[in-house]
Amino acid sequence: MSNIEPISSPIPYTRGNVEPLLHEVVHALDRLLEDDEATVIDLASLPFGPGELDQLEERLGIGELTAELNALGQSIIRETAYPGVWWLEHRNTEGDIVGRYIEITRAPEILMSQDADIGAGRAQLGDNLERAGPGNENGADNEPRPN
Amino acid sequence: MNLLEFARGPALQVAVYIFIIGSLWRLLGILWLQKKRDFSERRNGRKIRGALKVIWNRAFTAPVFREATKHARFMGYTLHIGLFVTVFLFIPHIVFFKGLIGIDWPGLPNNVIFFVGVITVGVGVAILIRRMTHPVLRLISNFDDYFSWLVTLLPVITGLIMPIRFGVRWETLLAIHILSVALLLIWIPFSKLSHAFLLIVSRGTTGAILERRGART
Amino acid sequence: MKDIPTLGDILQARGVSRRGFLKYCSATASLLALPPAMVPRLANALEQTRRPSVIWLSFQECTGCTESLTRSSSPTLEGLIFDTISLDYHHTLQAAAGEAAEAARHAAMEENNGNYLVLVDGSIPLGNPGFSTIAGMSNYDMLMETVEGAAAVVAIGSCAAFGGIPGANPNPTGAVSVRDLIKDKPVINVPGCPPIPMVITAVLAQYLTFGQLPELDRHGRPMAFFGQTIHDRCYRRPFYDQGKFAETFDDEGARKGWCLFKLGCKGPITYNACATMKWNDGTSFPIEAGHPCLGCSEPGFWDKGGFYNAVSTGDIGSGKALAGAAAAGVVLGATAAAMSRARRKKTMKEG
Repeated sequence: MSNIEPISSPIPYTRGNVEPLLHEVVHALDRLLEDDEATVIDLASLPFGPGELDQLEERLGIGELTAELNALGQSIIRETAYPGVWWLEHRNTEGDIVGRYIEITRAPEILMSQDADIGAGRAQLGDNLERAGPGNENGADNEPRPN
Repeated sequence: MNLLEFARGPALQVAVYIFIIGSLWRLLGILWLQKKRDFSERRNGRKIRGALKVIWNRAFTAPVFREATKHARFMGYTLHIGLFVTVFLFIPHIVFFKGLIGIDWPGLPNNVIFFVGVITVGVGVAILIRRMTHPVLRLISNFDDYFSWLVTLLPVITGLIMPIRFGVRWETLLAIHILSVALLLIWIPFSKLSHAFLLIVSRGTTGAILERRGART
Repeated sequence: MKDIPTLGDILQARGVSRRGFLKYCSATASLLALPPAMVPRLANALEQTRRPSVIWLSFQECTGCTESLTRSSSPTLEGLIFDTISLDYHHTLQAAAGEAAEAARHAAMEENNGNYLVLVDGSIPLGNPGFSTIAGMSNYDMLMETVEGAAAVVAIGSCAAFGGIPGANPNPTGAVSVRDLIKDKPVINVPGCPPIPMVITAVLAQYLTFGQLPELDRHGRPMAFFGQTIHDRCYRRPFYDQGKFAETFDDEGARKGWCLFKLGCKGPITYNACATMKWNDGTSFPIEAGHPCLGCSEPGFWDKGGFYNAVSTGDIGSGKALAGAAAAGVVLGATAAAMSRARRKKTMKEG
């Protein structure tokens, strides 16, 4: 199923969700600086009016760093114009949105290489090197694990 | 059938039937009473004019009594106006009436209605306290007075609780509200609340008689 | 019971990276309306979950619930869940037919006795078993036979949960809900016409993850998704409070997005997640699209007095009944007056 793009509301509409949310982000940034405590806000849990989510994204803006993750579909992990405030958008293999979050943290957990993956990758690299040892003319099979 | 369906369905219907039966019974039972034939010659004879004049004039206290009745007048007017506003100018009520009689009219914002409702209940409590503490009123008040007070204020109170909720489900509160209205409808014809439709009749009759005799109205 | 792989095993075998699994867990936590802080616990629980057997029974239904699920907002999630669950029987989705299909159902029931999940959509006719049969077996018999060894039953859609449209007045087939028939097994109702697909998935995910029933309301619906009314979460609520209502479907109020109460919106008495989770990936929901809520997740919503009659309209009886009451009142009044006159005459005579 392809993406459904909603028609944007002709009348600029606000249900009053954007401002309080931004205040929440400010408080979360305080906590991050003082206590090194990260916060995750699940945007799916809030009843946005039409166009409000776009307003929020606009207000937060785009920062220096954008990462594209390809695992079970594409995800965008983007630092907003406010350092420490990250906008995460997860899509599935069909391109539909499965999650939108705002993370107030130094780096979202999902950006980091995970122990299980590191372990599996290390094992595979070891295997590849063994196979590419003396006498093997075809070369190593360097394909990483598929997603 | 759950409570709400019962309240909006059978309960309300039965209440309306009893209201109609009771009101007509009382009204016609009074109107068709044998009137004493007045053998005197009539002075003016315009009965309708007399009726209307007295209905209008008696809505306002004669200057001589104004000071003595100021409390009752203030509380009475506030209560009745408050009841009118909360019943007839609240939009979900207007939708209800439109379903019945097909006529629509503009209403007031919900928070205004809520405010008026609170005032109404406040005045209602003041009225009750007055009735219970005033030396004369206390003596002459009977079951009809107190029960009518309760039955009139219950719909307003239950209506005010609906937006506040206190953790109770909205449908339950709506059902209780409708049941309180049903109780009111059943009680009106058989109590002093029947003044709602009998007042016009009694004042009109007085006015017609007085006018016929040429008395000042 | 044969060795059943855990979800963790399956994901690893499919080459899903840990990042992918975290993404999946975040989305699942979001679906289950769990706070993001619970994701690590969820990841842990999901990794240990064993792949359960699921039997889907379709009775008197329109297949809308299956359509909703397979067109769902997060197919990858569905794909994962349905890959990780073993969907051993489903009329629309299975390849087998006839005896082979029924044999698959019986095999699944035997192998997983006591542990499989039964999903039901559609109501069950009790009027005449011939109204709806599968492989010559009546719906009632198939339900009772299949549920006997089940761990739990999930009634998907308003038909299975409450009787739905077959059960609406005059209910010609004698349709009943799953809960009307199954009393000795846990039954979760996921009503809606259809239910929000994310909700169906989330309920399944929750049961599979935590192995226990979510908190249910008095209609057996999970409180996480059916705990609040549409009215309480509706973005048009400020207009209701300000008394701004649309009077018709294309008037100025409608264009400005005012409250649809007067047009028959059943939001105040409907419990569902439409106003928050919305439909089609959170795109919109009926009220946002300009149509009043039908109340489709409530019992008997087809017979609640009309989709376009406001919630506050009442029924005070037919014109005939009212005329009858008026006539009775007139008679009583006349009688009272007559009695009074007779008494008066008597008094006058005596006096």
